[in-house]
Amino acid sequence: MSSKFSILLVALLIAFLGILSIYSSTYQKEGQLWKAIYRRQMLWVILGILLFFLFSNFNYRRLWDATYFLYALAILLLVLVFILGIVRLGAQRWLRIAWFNFQPSEITKLIMIIFLSRYFSKKSVDNISPAASRLDIWKGLIMPFIFTIVPIGFIIEQPDLGSAAIIFFMFIAMLYLGGIKVRYLLIFFGIIILFSPLFWYLLRGYQRERLMVFLNPSLDPLGAGYTVIQSKIAIGSGGLFGKGYLCGTQSSLRFLPESHTDFIFGTFAEERGFFGSCLLLFLYYFLISKGMAIAERANDEFGKLLSLGISLLLSTQTFINIAMNLGLAPVVGLPLPLMSYGGSSVLTTFIALGILANIDKRR
Amino acid sequence: MRIKITNFAIIFIFCILFLGLFNSTIIQGKKFRDLSDKNCLRLFPQFGSRGKVLDRNGNVILGSRISYDAMILLERKDKIERTLTKLSEILGIETAELINKFKKEFINYSLPVSVVEDISLQQAIALEELKLELPGLMIQPHPLRSYPYGRLAAHVLGYLGEIDRWRLTKLADYGYNTKDIVGFGGVEEKYDYYLRQEEGGMLVEVDHQGRLVRVLGLRPPKNGKELQLTLDLNVQKIIEEKLEDRRGSVIILDPYNGEIIALANRPNFDPSVFIKKSATSINELLNDPHGVLLNRSISGVYPAGSVFKVIVASAALETRKINFTTSFFCPGSARIGRRQFSCWDTHHQQDLMQGITHSCDVFFYHTGLVLGAQLIHDYALKFGLSRPTGIELPYEASGLVPSPLWKRISRRERWYDGDTANFSIGQGDLLVTPLQMCRAMGVFANRGRLVNPHIVKAIDGEDISVYYQKTAPIPIKETNLNFIREGLRRVVLEPSGTANVLSDVGVAVAGKTGTVQVPQGSPHGWFVGFFPYENPRFVISVFLEHGGSSLAACIVTKQIIEEMVKEGLI
Repeated sequence: MSSKFSILLVALLIAFLGILSIYSSTYQKEGQLWKAIYRRQMLWVILGILLFFLFSNFNYRRLWDATYFLYALAILLLVLVFILGIVRLGAQRWLRIAWFNFQPSEITKLIMIIFLSRYFSKKSVDNISPAASRLDIWKGLIMPFIFTIVPIGFIIEQPDLGSAAIIFFMFIAMLYLGGIKVRYLLIFFGIIILFSPLFWYLLRGYQRERLMVFLNPSLDPLGAGYTVIQSKIAIGSGGLFGKGYLCGTQSSLRFLPESHTDFIFGTFAEERGFFGSCLLLFLYYFLISKGMAIAERANDEFGKLLSLGISLLLSTQTFINIAMNLGLAPVVGLPLPLMSYGGSSVLTTFIALGILANIDKRR
Repeated sequence: MRIKITNFAIIFIFCILFLGLFNSTIIQGKKFRDLSDKNCLRLFPQFGSRGKVLDRNGNVILGSRISYDAMILLERKDKIERTLTKLSEILGIETAELINKFKKEFINYSLPVSVVEDISLQQAIALEELKLELPGLMIQPHPLRSYPYGRLAAHVLGYLGEIDRWRLTKLADYGYNTKDIVGFGGVEEKYDYYLRQEEGGMLVEVDHQGRLVRVLGLRPPKNGKELQLTLDLNVQKIIEEKLEDRRGSVIILDPYNGEIIALANRPNFDPSVFIKKSATSINELLNDPHGVLLNRSISGVYPAGSVFKVIVASAALETRKINFTTSFFCPGSARIGRRQFSCWDTHHQQDLMQGITHSCDVFFYHTGLVLGAQLIHDYALKFGLSRPTGIELPYEASGLVPSPLWKRISRRERWYDGDTANFSIGQGDLLVTPLQMCRAMGVFANRGRLVNPHIVKAIDGEDISVYYQKTAPIPIKETNLNFIREGLRRVVLEPSGTANVLSDVGVAVAGKTGTVQVPQGSPHGWFVGFFPYENPRFVISVFLEHGGSSLAACIVTKQIIEEMVKEGLI
């Protein structure tokens, strides 16, 4: 079986489990909106499949040419969100397009990976030596940093701390994978450590509170702390085999807030137990290791960096979300790729997987 | 090499997830299963109280009182119905209503559900005593907004209500949730972020009989911050009383620092209606044809009428189109273009001083024509018209100052001399808010500075008025200002002046009247002025919507000032 179809199959399997869990966590809630939510997710997944095929047949090297255009598009969308935020007198993360709330920060994550892959590679089929190792500190560190900090600034302003942190982490990872000199990385870490108190100062009050609550969930028994406690109870009470589908009490009796978005893993684990969750972890690992294998096989620097970036993006988001559910990471509001309810995240993930499949095809 | 390290890192993070999962489900699984099976988490909310609002002397205008809610916390459905039936007997509320309320408010079995809100103290005590017969019932104290002065300054203060969808989408990221009570209109809305309390709560684990095992988390509630306004309760009471039921607005402003001393509108509303949550009376207020919720002083736009002549006069003097001795003849009307523009009286020969004193329209038609519409427009903008004054109250209107360009763009028509004539007596397309006029009059009171009207003095004892105290100078020479000032004084002082009724109020008043002809209904009445004349302490604007004439506005002003003199407030 070609890796294109194994990727699609596993992704669909995860998405299918996601839809089942979304149904399980919302079917008892009142209101038309809740009743239709799993069907909307189905629609996103179907659209996602279409996008997957589109991008798996779209030569990814054209993304190289379109990089600056894509970057400009991402900035434009973020600026639009920012301006609408001012016009509507309050921050927001959404752009309303027809009947769909579009979240530009999701697609920005992918666009930044394409951008950084392009930045650190050369457009040449034969030249596979990393381009970044020859770059000086200005071109290898400061310029890409400036390009990255602009969208991060807009996203922090939204305020979506989780997405901003992911992009920042991806920047560091791409620096490393792009092959810039280790001493530049060390310099960069030194500067970050020096400036981290300033960053703490820049956080909004409730964001600081979230971090404090992570250290001690009982500080906020009503908000994030409550959610984490309930999610831990949901996951823990699942035991080895789980309570069975539609039998989870924590999520369906509405103990667990956000049980169809950020905390869907809690819903899933309560009903499927340890074994089911391990299977899910394995499916994610399978997807990611496929991506890593594609990276190792890729025969141009751009494709290699791009597939590495996509695999890392998937793994970081998966890790942070599940760790948040387990109470091992602060509640930052990141979706679980492919499973959490939300069109922007589902579509972006399918596009990313489509690009992966295409990189493998061009080998 | 670097790819290998990345591969290891990915395997490592998946190992962490696996171990975390193993720890939660298998090692600690039993503990969590117990917690889940018995539903033995209970969340008891604790409420903070919303910040108080004080007047400039520290009197409480908006306070909070303790109310009592009857809440239910039970897991078994049959028991709940029994308790609700009992409760309905005691309180005399229908059982079906209580059950509906319960269903609507129910979130989950670990959270108490509030079924009856704001019961009386006697009822609360009675229910406490009958607690054994009412399993699962809790009486929870809950601070509520109190309005010791009822309708007083209702538009300045605003009212409270459940957050709406629109506000929620904006504010969700600032920690607002559905069902939060937030301010609508007035300082309650503008300063909601400061005034709002933070709910606290206690998360506890109980055993199967509902007895406390241990406290899992506690967050004490926080009260909202205290707001001190610039309003003076004594003055506010006087203007509220003297405005009676006349539709309109009264503003009293400090001419030097822009503090609003008092501000009242009619019709007004009773903000406590929104606390009682009676749907019919709330809908009545929201759908009222006269706009009771409209803060006319800042959101109502009206033609300025003759009050606008002071701006025209300043512009004409400053640009030297006329001087102190220029005079025009008023035969009772003037022909401009193809239309006859009338004056309200026949004034014969008038110079600028007399023109202001008698509010002679013909004099200002001619002045406006020699000045030109564009210059009038420019000077009106210098006096702060056509843009919000920046007062910290929501929904402030900008008003409109027409200009030839504006007319060409919006109406696709030429600007005629007739438009200039109408413009120079404050009629036509010109629209202002009472606060804008009050602030413009402040320029003559304080001899040349445009203030920033504001209403909040301090938040939690910290003085914030410094942010508003910077005033902008108006580019008009002092001699010209003083000349118009004297004109404003003569309006009151001379027997033929239009505000002569104010000549014997016990303090030297200066100001300008205005009567605005409207297409339908009786004319609006204006009086905008300041007192005492030599060293002004107050700028006053009285506007009566369809009040008949400026005389009605002058009489209200007279009553207000006389009362203030009597109370020793001047």
